[in-house]
Amino acid sequence: MPAAPEEIGKKEVKTKELTVNMGPQHPATHGVLRLVLELNGETVVKCTPYVGYLHRGVEKLAENRTYMSALPLTDRLDYISSMANNIGYCVAVERLFGVEPPERAKYIRTIMAEMTRISSHIIGVATHVLDIGATTLFLYSFRDRETLLDLFEMTCGARLTVSYPRIGGVRNDVSQEFIDKLYEFTGYFPETIEREYETLIDRNRIWLQRTKGIGVISAEDAINWGLTGPTLRGSGVPYDVRKHAPYDAYDKVEFDVPVGKNGDVYDRYKCRMEELKQSNRIIRQCIEQMPRGPIMAPDAPKFTLPPKDKVLTDMESLIHHFVLITKGPIASPEGEIYSATEVPKGELGFYMIGDGSGKPYRMRLRSPSFVHVSVLPELCKDALIADVIANIGTIDIVLGEVDR
Amino acid sequence: MTIKDLAKRVFLVEILKGMALTLRMIFTHAVTRQYPEEKRPPFPGFRGLHALVRKENGEAKCVGCGLCAAICPSKCISVYTSEGSDHNKVVDRYEIEVLRCVYCAFCVEACPFGAVVLTDHYEYSDYSRAAFDMDKEKLLANWDKFMAGPKGEEYFKRFWRPLSEDYATPEDQPVFRGGAGAPKALPGKETVEVQGGLSDAA
Repeated sequence: MPAAPEEIGKKEVKTKELTVNMGPQHPATHGVLRLVLELNGETVVKCTPYVGYLHRGVEKLAENRTYMSALPLTDRLDYISSMANNIGYCVAVERLFGVEPPERAKYIRTIMAEMTRISSHIIGVATHVLDIGATTLFLYSFRDRETLLDLFEMTCGARLTVSYPRIGGVRNDVSQEFIDKLYEFTGYFPETIEREYETLIDRNRIWLQRTKGIGVISAEDAINWGLTGPTLRGSGVPYDVRKHAPYDAYDKVEFDVPVGKNGDVYDRYKCRMEELKQSNRIIRQCIEQMPRGPIMAPDAPKFTLPPKDKVLTDMESLIHHFVLITKGPIASPEGEIYSATEVPKGELGFYMIGDGSGKPYRMRLRSPSFVHVSVLPELCKDALIADVIANIGTIDIVLGEVDR
Repeated sequence: MTIKDLAKRVFLVEILKGMALTLRMIFTHAVTRQYPEEKRPPFPGFRGLHALVRKENGEAKCVGCGLCAAICPSKCISVYTSEGSDHNKVVDRYEIEVLRCVYCAFCVEACPFGAVVLTDHYEYSDYSRAAFDMDKEKLLANWDKFMAGPKGEEYFKRFWRPLSEDYATPEDQPVFRGGAGAPKALPGKETVEVQGGLSDAA
């Protein structure tokens, strides 16, 4: 029997927490992330991320590939910054082997890594903004990314999964057209950021209300959670692998590490925008300083394929060629190494163990996105449902890298 | 809050600025391509569908050494050989499972004879999976269709790497040309701008 009108309100209404499943097929989760949200009204009481929907077993697969043919596996970790992953892998193997790539290769790699950073950051910011509700910036940033992808295609024949660096150098030299076009791009890109990107959202009141003071994480907490990259720097910790343990040509170029102050979504966004300009600056310096010279290390035939024009004329090259492909590098060292590089998302670490055979005995990946997902419950605690979306966008995760 | 800030808040200045930008964009050239009608040719060296190179006498250049199958990271190539009449190696079957391929072009790099290539063809779709299990005949047909003639030779040489010149310093190596080749100067700043809670470090 329904309650009489005067009885309503007097009766004690029982409330309980509602559990909502968000994902894995949710467009704002940047892939296949599943979140289980316990809600009290519109407030998130508890947020539990579930990962593993994109697990391919890259670490295990690498154990059955030679050092060379494990390279394309790393393309598919963080698939919007595949070049940076490739470079991270090559740097790790080079450190294990004790090889030093030549100067020109180092500069080319630095240019490529920074191009990837620009392309990844503009996608990160664009999808983040799109999730919150602004469409225009998304379209503008994809236009600029197209320029960079065309340059990748021009150099290595692929736009997304590039497989361009090699152990001890890079696959092929860059062309004059590449250098000219990229230099032209770096000429107008900072202006584009200021004129278009920042005009649209930097001071926009809706954007500010959705980002200022949301998802705050203190510097101490950020370090304790193991955050890296712009997600950490937004909290004011100036940690950058490129500055603290330079690899490739980063010790020869000047750049600043932008850091935020408040550790909220807006500061992390601001850091990424600032990093775009710094990456642009690095590319310009690299192009201007890039010397002439070989692009493969002189002792490279011991671990990457020998020159093709010699394979059918030189006996030693032919033997190297066959052994390298079927068994892997002959002089593979025993030992272990941890090598970190700064990819757009944060610190990408490769922990490699070599057992003297041509294949890595173990390849452990420290992927930044996986660490960043773990901080999501902390960021979403006592936040509104709408802020969950902002928080997923701000940690800039790619699920290919979370699940590996 | 100053009067200027108040005016900015009341008159929606930042929103209007954004709207003005989007309005200006109407009068610029469209960057979108109308894809199926309007196609952008891939750059030389693009890694698309596979093909087996045909010799002048019409046979496949492949000798069946199996290096492509050995290096393939996704293990999508299988080569079966047998002994011929005069003790030569005969390639009975050469199969590529195209749907498993990751297009790294390591097979092209590994092939000592330049017998397998990736073409510039990227639009392949079919109603059956079987259409993508390419055997030797299909792969040779791909060569005839997309790469035959001097185009193929020029094309696969771009990823037939490394060459000896990669270990040396070629005369005409491209570097930054400065002056004439350089476009307009960078309008950017030397230091990081402090804005919205940002301070520069390092």
